Amino acid sequence: MAPVLSVRNLTVSYNGKHALEKVSFDVQKGERVAIVGPNGSGKSTLFKALVGLLHPKTGHVQADGAEIGYVVQRSAVDWDFPVTVHDVVMMGRIGKMGWLRWQRLQDRRIVRRCLAQVGMAEHASQQIGELSGGQQQRVFIARALAQEATILLMDEPFSGVDAPSQEAIMEILDRLRDQGVTVLLSTHDLNLAAERFDRLALLNRQLVAYGPPRQAINPQTLAAAYGGQAVWRGEDYAMVLGDIDCCGEEGHHHG
Amino acid sequence: MADVLELLTEPLRYPFMIRGLLASLMVGTLCSVVGTYVVLRGMAFFGDALAHAILPGVAVAYLLDANLFWGALGMGLLTALGIGYVSRRGQVKEDTAIGVVFAASFALGVALLSTVQSYSVDLAHILFGNVLGVSDADLWLTAGLGVTVLLAVVLFYKELLVISFDPVLAATLRLPLNALHYLLLVLIALTIVVSLQTVGVALMVAMLVTPAATAYLLTRRLWHMMIVGATVGAVSSAAGLYLSFYINVASGSAVVLVCTAFFALAMLFAPRRGLVWGWLRRG
Repeated sequence: MAPVLSVRNLTVSYNGKHALEKVSFDVQKGERVAIVGPNGSGKSTLFKALVGLLHPKTGHVQADGAEIGYVVQRSAVDWDFPVTVHDVVMMGRIGKMGWLRWQRLQDRRIVRRCLAQVGMAEHASQQIGELSGGQQQRVFIARALAQEATILLMDEPFSGVDAPSQEAIMEILDRLRDQGVTVLLSTHDLNLAAERFDRLALLNRQLVAYGPPRQAINPQTLAAAYGGQAVWRGEDYAMVLGDIDCCGEEGHHHG
Repeated sequence: MADVLELLTEPLRYPFMIRGLLASLMVGTLCSVVGTYVVLRGMAFFGDALAHAILPGVAVAYLLDANLFWGALGMGLLTALGIGYVSRRGQVKEDTAIGVVFAASFALGVALLSTVQSYSVDLAHILFGNVLGVSDADLWLTAGLGVTVLLAVVLFYKELLVISFDPVLAATLRLPLNALHYLLLVLIALTIVVSLQTVGVALMVAMLVTPAATAYLLTRRLWHMMIVGATVGAVSSAAGLYLSFYINVASGSAVVLVCTAFFALAMLFAPRRGLVWGWLRRG
């Protein structure tokens, strides 16, 4: 089967420095891929290149007409902006509405359905800053659904989110998989990545390893991705030590 | 009751007051709606700079004895696009680019005007507005351009909302980010030019920012913010004009001070975002 997303030889640079170097991989429809790597390894850069926000120096991304929904890091959003949950999800419809058009009944129906899908229907009229971290993530997933995205990119959705909220998001992703939605998600949590994802991409500017978690993670690949900071714990996979910023948000220092 | 009515109608016996009031109401509404984006996108400095940078255009038109409006319009559009371009090139930070362009332009305007005999009076009118000197032609121009700008705000509502709230989404939806950004700059420039005679250069930023900021504290949706802001702007404009009539202070200052009073009230008593609300919740 042809891959739904195909990345070939992708190199992206910021100010002359390579943030990503010669990255190639394929993702099949409905697969769930965890992107794992230390801070500054290019996870956000990869996502931005996938949606076309950054232009690659070499290589290309092929997503054959698939709509890509991008759930950015929570730190990248102005949560005080005067918009309600409903307004945010409606933004996903803009591409479908077209210029000089107002929202129609159809759009409102889709927005309600997408909110219901992530269990946020009763929060529709709340201002987005009033939500918890996990609820905010769910709203942005709903927006990607309203956009009719078949590929969902999620940048660090679990940073600063408690365990029950994380589980709620994972359950939503399980249901989306049944609908054929492909998910790429960056995370610092190597164990979660290994247990709940079909494939794991170990990134450190280059793609160190890519494949089913049991194949992608081994002492050599971990050492290559994390340097001396990773500790191999045999069959139970691994843990990362000394990755000092592991629980912070990458966008942190900007704000 | 009859006294209150008389207080309100008394100034309207003068045609210049009626024209001034109409101009103020239109400008107050327009500035507050467009100001919503100025507040949300942190463009207060840009707005202030743009108002000042218009001066050489006004001066040239004045020296040539042409309509000041067209000089202001030309210069306003030129500066808005110029600042947009320089800040996009990214060689210096945006506020630095604005600082350089705006001070240079303002200096040039003052230099040009200073060649004229009646320099100080004219400069004062441009700096602080002259709402009572509004002519019928000015009113029509204000109305025409004001309606055009408001129409653009309505027609491109969802696009301007998404580039302001989430440029990343706008890019993934393949919206023309640059074109929309420039559209917004042009709308702000038009608003400033239209408001020049009523508000003046120096107090322009207050009309762009203060009513919208007041509305920001009171609302939780963009179009609510626009409507509340427009109301605050219009009411302040009218109230300010009456104040200036009865206690004989400069009209522009009176309008801005009334606006600021509304803002202070909102800052104290706004539900959720107000200070008193915060104390009550903590206490």
